[in-house]
Amino acid sequence: MNKREIKNNSKNVMVVCVACFSILILVMIFGFIIKESLPAISSEGFKLFSGMLWYPTHSEPEYGLAAMFIGSLLITLLTAVIVLPLGYIIAFFMYGYAMPWEKNIIKSSIDLLSGVPSVIIGSFLLVYVAPIFFKLGAWSRENILLGAVGLTILSLPYTASLMEEAMSSVDKSMKEGALALGATKFRAGFSVISKAAMPGLMNAVILTLNRIIGETMVVLMASGGAAIIPMSLWDPVRPLTAAIASEMGEVELGSIHYSSLFAAGLVLLTISFILTLISKKISRRSSK
Amino acid sequence: MKKILVFLVLVVSVFSFSAPLVVKGSNTVLPIAQMWAEEMKKLNPSINITLEGAGSSTGISALFNNTADIANSSRWLKASEIEQMGKEKKLFMPIVVAYDGIAVVVNKSIKLDNISISTLKDIYTGKITTWNQIDPNLPKNRINVYSRNTASGTYETFSHFVLGSDKMSPSVRMVESTQFEADVVLRDSNAIAYMGIGYVDSNVKVLKVEGVMPSKTTVLDSTYIMSRPLYMFINATEGFPMTGPVKEYFSFATSKKGQELVEKAGFIAAYGN
Repeated sequence: MNKREIKNNSKNVMVVCVACFSILILVMIFGFIIKESLPAISSEGFKLFSGMLWYPTHSEPEYGLAAMFIGSLLITLLTAVIVLPLGYIIAFFMYGYAMPWEKNIIKSSIDLLSGVPSVIIGSFLLVYVAPIFFKLGAWSRENILLGAVGLTILSLPYTASLMEEAMSSVDKSMKEGALALGATKFRAGFSVISKAAMPGLMNAVILTLNRIIGETMVVLMASGGAAIIPMSLWDPVRPLTAAIASEMGEVELGSIHYSSLFAAGLVLLTISFILTLISKKISRRSSK
Repeated sequence: MKKILVFLVLVVSVFSFSAPLVVKGSNTVLPIAQMWAEEMKKLNPSINITLEGAGSSTGISALFNNTADIANSSRWLKASEIEQMGKEKKLFMPIVVAYDGIAVVVNKSIKLDNISISTLKDIYTGKITTWNQIDPNLPKNRINVYSRNTASGTYETFSHFVLGSDKMSPSVRMVESTQFEADVVLRDSNAIAYMGIGYVDSNVKVLKVEGVMPSKTTVLDSTYIMSRPLYMFINATEGFPMTGPVKEYFSFATSKKGQELVEKAGFIAAYGN
């Protein structure tokens, strides 16, 4: 082996090591979370996931994650209902209607928006948006709708740019063909291009959901923090992420409370894992 | 090279100090301990104090396995801890370092001055949900009930005094900081919350509890119900330490300056009143 080969080989080894490191981290995080959540799962059993009441520090403690899990799902759903149509409309406009300079403006403001830290969005909501909701008849300052608005601001740039990418990756001949056959601009974009871009759009939907369900700071600040199942838009919720962030700092190490917070983390990790798998499957199928 | 040198100097300087004084325990006491540590460092730069707030129980268990020199606590010893002390032939000495009172606060627009413990309990357990259930003259609005999260020592004390063995209603909002509670009460005319009296300012209205206004005097003579002493525990199995950092810390904490810092942190001084 000459000097050059040694140099090359050693670089190869380095690159492989760094690449493996990321896999190792993933495996370790999964392993660590499963290991830490086992005590809670074995002592509480199914009650951990079906129980509605969360009294981890009471003398007769109850560790039910269900209400917070449902809270997580509902706030994700509500946000999705707002952000997905908005994101699609923005993407649709950027793809089919916008002049290059308009597209530039939208793109760069979206990029800037995606860089706003979530804690700033949270403070903005509490100071400026909450009083508006209050006037509209909200009985509580922090509520599921306020949280959803925050999550919308946070995920809109992500959704819009992913959807725009999906639409622009469709072959140009499709659009030109549709227009040549006499379809209007709207029809070409809505029926032809969106259909062709469906896998990419679905992918965008799933990645957006994934991002919303894992978001912590905004929901911690703006969605209320009461572990109940919300019955109206003005009711407070406490998603799993908020509970973990709020309680992990002070929990007694090794206790069931500690372990059940990890179980909550495991639930979130599993959801995100499944969503990522689905997204991978969709993009693989579409690239065939 | 320069960076490495600086790093080495730092490492050496850290290790060259005598063994650090480890103070662990209650988060309620942490701000006081922080002020003490800062001030002691000013007076004696060679002293090395490590502070950690991880809850009263953690502090006391650290005292048992000798990983802490001083345990801060916002509660007295549990029966199980006293038993363990007997078993391990250890003696922990409690020192009251400050007093703390928990104030119940509402928005200034609420025409309510006094609240009883039982009403408070009904509010926090969810039996009372609107203001006019407390007093027919109050508006028929939902009460927005706020509490500190379960990690907080204030939460523990509040539940001890108000809830007893009952559970807080799930619809009570658990929030991360006392400042947040203060903000909410200022802005929301239907909110109720509780906080350590050190945090109360003129933006909120403090309620009398069972007819007693929380103040320095009423907390000190315990006529205000929701008041408690804050402790530090030191390991006195080998006798009270007459020299060394533990003694130094103790002396500073109970000194005039130390007790002034207690008041500065928003609590009530235990000595010199």
